[in-house]
Amino acid sequence: MTTSAPELPDFAPKLRLTQSHADVTRDVVATLQTPSRGYYMLLFGAVALFLVGLLTFLVLVKDGLGHAGYNPPVMWSVYITTFVFWVGIGHAGTLISAILFLFRSPWRTAVYRATEAMTVFAVMTAGLFPIIHIGRQWIFYWLLPYPNARYLWPNFKSPLIWDVFAISTYLTVSTLFLIFGLIPDVAAVRDRVKGWRKFIYGQLSLGWQGTDTQWRHYSRAYLYMAALATPLVLSVHSVVSWDFASSIVPGWHGTIFAPYFVAGAIYSGIGMVLTLLIPLRKALRIEHMITDYHFDNLSKLTLLTGTILFYAYAMEYFVAWYSGNTFEQTTFFRRAFGPMWWAGWTMIICNAFVSQLLWFRKIRTNLTSLFVISIFINIGMWFERYVIIVSSLSNDYVPWAWDNMNPTWADWGILAGSFGWFGMYFLLFARTFPIVAIQEIKEMIPMPRRRAGGGHH
Amino acid sequence: MADEGPTQTLDRRKFLTVLGVTGGGAVALSGCSTSKVEKLVPYLVQSEDQVPGVPTWYASTCTECAGGCGVHVKTREGRAIKLEGNPDHPVNRGKLCSRGQASLQGLYNPGRIKSPMLRSGDSFAEISWDDAIARLATEVNKAAGRVAVLSGAGPGTFSDLLADWTSAAGGTMVRWEPIGHEPIRAASRAVFGIDEVPSHNFADARYIVSFGADFLDGWLSPMEDQRGFAASHGFDGDSARFVSFSPRRDLTGLNADEWHAVAPGSEALVALAMANVIGGAGAAGGSLSAYTPEAVAAQAGIPAASIVRVARAFAAARPSLAVAGGAGNQTRGAVELATAVHILNSVAGNVGRTVLFGSGPTLGDGYEGLARLMGAMDANQVGLLLVHDANPVYALPKSAGFAQRLAKVPFKVCTSLYLDETAAACDLLLPNHHALERWDDARPRPGVVGLMQPVMEPVFQTRHTGDVLLQASQKAGGALARFSAPSYETHLKDAWRSRATGDFDTFWIEALARGGIYPDASADGGSAAATASAPAAGTPALTAALPAFDGDGEFVLAPYPHPFLHDGRGSNRPWLLENPDPVTKLTWHSWIELSTATAERLDIRRGEIVRLISPHGELEAPAFPYPGLHDDVIAAPLGFGHTQYGQFAKDRGTNPLDLVGPPGNATFIPYVSTRVRLEKTGRFKELATTEGNPRQLGRGIAEAMPLDAARRGLTVRQAYIEAGHGKHEINTELEMEAIQGWRDETIEARKLGNYATEHPAWGMAIDLSRCTGCSACVTACYAENNIPTVGEDDVIRGREMTWIRIERYWEDPAPAAHGALDEAGGEHAAEGVTHGHPEARFIPMLCQHCENAPCEPVCPVYAAYHTADGLNGQVYNRCVGTRYCSNNCPYKVRYFNWYKYNERSWPEPLHLQLNPDVTVRGRGVMEKCTFCVQRIRGAQHQARVENRALRDGEFTTACAQACPSDAIVFGDMRDPDSRVAQIRSNPRGYHVLEDTNVRPAVTYLAKVLHPAEA
Amino acid sequence: MRLPIPKRKTVPGVLASFEHIDAATDAIRDLRARGHRDLTVYVSHPNHEIEDAMGHSSSPVRLFTLIGGLTGCAAGFGMTIWMSRDWPVLVGGKPIASIPPYVVIAFELTILIGALSTLFAVALLSLLKAGRKIAYDPRFSDDRIGVFVAARAGDAGALEQSLRAAGAVEVTRAA
Repeated sequence: MTTSAPELPDFAPKLRLTQSHADVTRDVVATLQTPSRGYYMLLFGAVALFLVGLLTFLVLVKDGLGHAGYNPPVMWSVYITTFVFWVGIGHAGTLISAILFLFRSPWRTAVYRATEAMTVFAVMTAGLFPIIHIGRQWIFYWLLPYPNARYLWPNFKSPLIWDVFAISTYLTVSTLFLIFGLIPDVAAVRDRVKGWRKFIYGQLSLGWQGTDTQWRHYSRAYLYMAALATPLVLSVHSVVSWDFASSIVPGWHGTIFAPYFVAGAIYSGIGMVLTLLIPLRKALRIEHMITDYHFDNLSKLTLLTGTILFYAYAMEYFVAWYSGNTFEQTTFFRRAFGPMWWAGWTMIICNAFVSQLLWFRKIRTNLTSLFVISIFINIGMWFERYVIIVSSLSNDYVPWAWDNMNPTWADWGILAGSFGWFGMYFLLFARTFPIVAIQEIKEMIPMPRRRAGGGHH
Repeated sequence: MADEGPTQTLDRRKFLTVLGVTGGGAVALSGCSTSKVEKLVPYLVQSEDQVPGVPTWYASTCTECAGGCGVHVKTREGRAIKLEGNPDHPVNRGKLCSRGQASLQGLYNPGRIKSPMLRSGDSFAEISWDDAIARLATEVNKAAGRVAVLSGAGPGTFSDLLADWTSAAGGTMVRWEPIGHEPIRAASRAVFGIDEVPSHNFADARYIVSFGADFLDGWLSPMEDQRGFAASHGFDGDSARFVSFSPRRDLTGLNADEWHAVAPGSEALVALAMANVIGGAGAAGGSLSAYTPEAVAAQAGIPAASIVRVARAFAAARPSLAVAGGAGNQTRGAVELATAVHILNSVAGNVGRTVLFGSGPTLGDGYEGLARLMGAMDANQVGLLLVHDANPVYALPKSAGFAQRLAKVPFKVCTSLYLDETAAACDLLLPNHHALERWDDARPRPGVVGLMQPVMEPVFQTRHTGDVLLQASQKAGGALARFSAPSYETHLKDAWRSRATGDFDTFWIEALARGGIYPDASADGGSAAATASAPAAGTPALTAALPAFDGDGEFVLAPYPHPFLHDGRGSNRPWLLENPDPVTKLTWHSWIELSTATAERLDIRRGEIVRLISPHGELEAPAFPYPGLHDDVIAAPLGFGHTQYGQFAKDRGTNPLDLVGPPGNATFIPYVSTRVRLEKTGRFKELATTEGNPRQLGRGIAEAMPLDAARRGLTVRQAYIEAGHGKHEINTELEMEAIQGWRDETIEARKLGNYATEHPAWGMAIDLSRCTGCSACVTACYAENNIPTVGEDDVIRGREMTWIRIERYWEDPAPAAHGALDEAGGEHAAEGVTHGHPEARFIPMLCQHCENAPCEPVCPVYAAYHTADGLNGQVYNRCVGTRYCSNNCPYKVRYFNWYKYNERSWPEPLHLQLNPDVTVRGRGVMEKCTFCVQRIRGAQHQARVENRALRDGEFTTACAQACPSDAIVFGDMRDPDSRVAQIRSNPRGYHVLEDTNVRPAVTYLAKVLHPAEA
Repeated sequence: MRLPIPKRKTVPGVLASFEHIDAATDAIRDLRARGHRDLTVYVSHPNHEIEDAMGHSSSPVRLFTLIGGLTGCAAGFGMTIWMSRDWPVLVGGKPIASIPPYVVIAFELTILIGALSTLFAVALLSLLKAGRKIAYDPRFSDDRIGVFVAARAGDAGALEQSLRAAGAVEVTRAA
């Protein structure tokens, strides 16, 4: 019986879609094999960092927040900075998995699983900070609306309550979205492995068989999840930005904040995606699935968002000058030339300028340069939040109250801990679940036909 | 949160025992000695003067300085918890300075000696009072007439007894105050032939000139002088001009409308030159001829023209007032200075009008007496020395060699409450009761006798020195046997019988209730009972010339008494250490000041540790470049560098007296008599300052307006527009209408639940033309609201908790320089103020209780919310500590508990001072000014009980209550007749940061600036 | 403890396995043409050619999403407004219940409940068919397409024939 070669879609060469469905299944399941020593060393490092953070946190709970570098009027500093940083990281994942899904952009399929996982763990990390940073961590749940002995509901006018709802919604939805997408792949793994693994994956696959009925509801539901996740991701960082924008602090009180923060979030998120994927594809030997084409597209997104940031920075300074508001003017003058000038310029150089290098194709496609740039992006975006928060607070309305803060071991300890916590989960995920979406890759690779042509798109 | 607070250490059993003791009378348990508890039984019959939860007030007299202010002591459940001024008392009229209020921390001080002690080797061993008194008796007998007593106690019955006792024991008593005012008295002798220090009527003076008299930092009679100054200098239609000639600008100098940095020691010459201008060369027996403004100007380093100008204005204004003398200017020429000023006042005709004799403070024997005693000690003529209420080892320059002489005395007895440097060098310690624990009286000045009564059971096993003397006398027998009174209390009563009119017991009770006997406050005008005559000035031989200074250093060292720590006696009290020095805003550590120009010349930065070297010693301290200092002078506060005196004072900073030369045969201590060299160490110290940026950057926080504008009733805004820089209106008419409409709508939408009904609207008005920056309000707030002191490290990190703070801004007279500083906006812009003298603007900053409070909506748990009566409430138990409220507070008046301050700020027994009406906040919650809500509610309850409406002024906040200048007024803004409502409508009134539209409940009245005289 | 799931009874029928998509779709069309309604098709990925062949109407999931979203929105506004009026607390001089800030809450709940009900719908709709045990082959999650036709033992033979003819690489009978 003759078999005609399947007709390939036009983007196939870029994606190197030469393999068969069987190859895909094999290669992806292969990533779940017993990992190398390098992997375990990474994992150990992550757990160690996490323990550092945990220890620091316990000391804070025991003695109070005084150990951190807080120096009134700077009442928020490294913790909130890191909170916003991690929330931001999350956004790239949802953008790629949901928004690009709606745009039907083909290059997302290979990378979206990894980025979506990153999203979930980043938001899990961010979610810890509102608890860590408050003065009485043990009653953080007072922010939730539940019938209580105080006969008091939370204050829904407070941006912090908006945060609670936004972040918890985001965590729930993106987690479900990730798990939902995993089900068919877990089923595929189930059918390839043996023994206790088979049992575990069998339970996790929730009885998925890929029947026409299942696919029928599944595809629809996936579409709607994407449709819901898209406004959600845009809203979450807007809400986070309103933590600042809805205050009256000069340097915070800006209408530009929501789009500015969303762009920054995606920028930082893709930065983190690059930082994670470049080594990962090598480690898992899936270079032929995550290709230059993907990195090229990621770079273009980075360039776009980076340029938006450039504009936002410029606009902040312009408005500060144009408003004629002495408070705004002083704040931004000191942001560039005050005691924290170095942080201010780190942010501008790493975000506004470094991203512009990506105009060059050579740099976009050179993974080494990309990796270096991605590190700059991570640093720059952390500093962006640090500058916005600390430098704005350190010099607002009453000059007599001005003061600067210096981070202490307690600040760095928690920061390190957050990276450990995130890395730990990501590493565990990467070798437990298919880091590349099997079913969606297959969807793009046409099945063999007996007759040439005939297939319709 | 209370459940973490030390107030909880009062368990039920102790609580009952508290009641038990109070049943016995006006005494109570000292919360920390269980041995007492055994003796006490809960009483069955409620005593009428103690109702649990209701404070009992006792009248008493403040003993912190010679002023002799009357105080009311607030006790709760048998413990003193706050000191306030006695409103009837002529000296302080219900006001009390920081030092007076901190007397409470002297009472509960952890550094107190808990029982009598006897030296054994290098340390002390506790002994029983019987043994201690027996020992004293035997030692007195052993000394056989070679007994000497050094006492710092002010004149009073005890002082009399002590003197009497000493002479009976065959010795002599010396009464000595470290910063006495001997030079002024000497001058009075020379000029008027009166052996007295006059009192001054600042209130009536229309023109005030000070030659370094620090009458706002605690000079002769701090409360009285400050009240008088506020009355004359504060604006009420007019304002007296105040000119200061002094090498250093202390707090008094910062309140001057005009400051002249004269060369140290040249003040006398300037005063004489002024007298010369006014009275002509012929005045004062022609002795002034030598002192022409021209001749003097060169020596003083100021233009002759200004001397002439000030002199003319001084003479024109009647009455005027010139004052001089203050430790900070006490050179070897101090007597000449005081003499010159006496002459100046008499040629200007002020004597008898603003300079009053016959009502001045009664001084001790001065340094003369102490020198005599030291001579005797040196010559081994003293077998037993009893030191009472004095700490000469610390308070004298080391070079005076008191310690060495003390060592020569075979047996030394000390009655100090605290283990200070002198006590540590003694053999027998007989700790006295604190003034609040004992019967006593004081005669601060003729016509005023203050009474003290025990307001509570002694905190420790101390004993009244009076009783100790009496009991020892009985043991010793002999000449001392005649001191047979059963107790000092009876001795005191007997001493008072002569004063009684009619039945003694009723008289005594009334005297106790009034806190002594004195002329009615309302009776006399402005100042103390003026039995004043106008003595004619004699013709003293004038030998005023620039005084001599030891050493060959480049700078003259000017040690000055710290406004709170004074000569160092306040250094064991956290309130006084953490409440920033009003001038430098430094806390907790010592420093040296040098002029900003000098600092620039030597490239010495703020906080750089420098070494000062004099022929007599050296010290290291961080530098504070200060724009209010003569370029050749280095100033340093007294009070630091204790080697004893409890955990708070010990080893804290350095003491400038170590550099000062011996007084020699001077009749007073010439504090400013040494030249010092300065060396850089290259090391730095982060200063524990509460000062952020001392520049207003044109933000109109502490506003001011010219005198004539104020006279014409202009508003601040109008004054601005007149001066040519008015703010332009951002909104158009239409927009304003829309905004108003929107506002009315919101106000409607608020009317729900408790907010639907009418309530008072609490508000405050603060008159910056009266505020002198003395910071008494800050201490009062610490006392009333259980505010923790956070210590040096946390102050460095800006974590001080003062609910009310005094901001001190520099306003540069040269606008150009001002602009430049605006640009830079540097943290330490004050360093930049070198050319021209910056004007100091003080503004008390506290929670403004905004109507549209930005702190409220951002709180996720309603911990910050608005009460129906307009308070900006803060519910500690709800607070989870997000600190967003503080970020969003434009005034930055919210304070966060970073650590468990409640567990570390009140080491036993300091926690006994806590006010039971106010929660002690736990770690992790935000706190802030509450407008003393506990006082508001208390008054409201009282009114309800008496079934009447609340009366305006029947209560007020702690800060307003304490303010010696009466700058703060509190009340219901909604009541049109209330004082606060009327003051708020004053044209000078303005709101800080009005443009933020937060609608504060605190109105400030702009400061009034005197124009430069032509 | 045993879950109250009804004992799943095995459905008798024929299970065919295809390698070629066009063969599979032809077979499906043919079977449906011949009146076989009880078909189950297995495939490793969402494949619209098969969907067309099966001629399914679009899933009712969207209805759940819509209802969930609207419920969330209503809940958001209802909760915030009621809770702020339940104990009126004045903050920042704003109205006790001020709508603008509550929009955020309402929005987030719209998304949350919308998403939850969507997934709930999938679970529910899939469970409707979970009552029966239908033959399955692990390769269907790899590169094979499976077509199961419920049939009584009598018709099975004919079916096998036709399926082989349609290009099934493997045909087994499930009883």
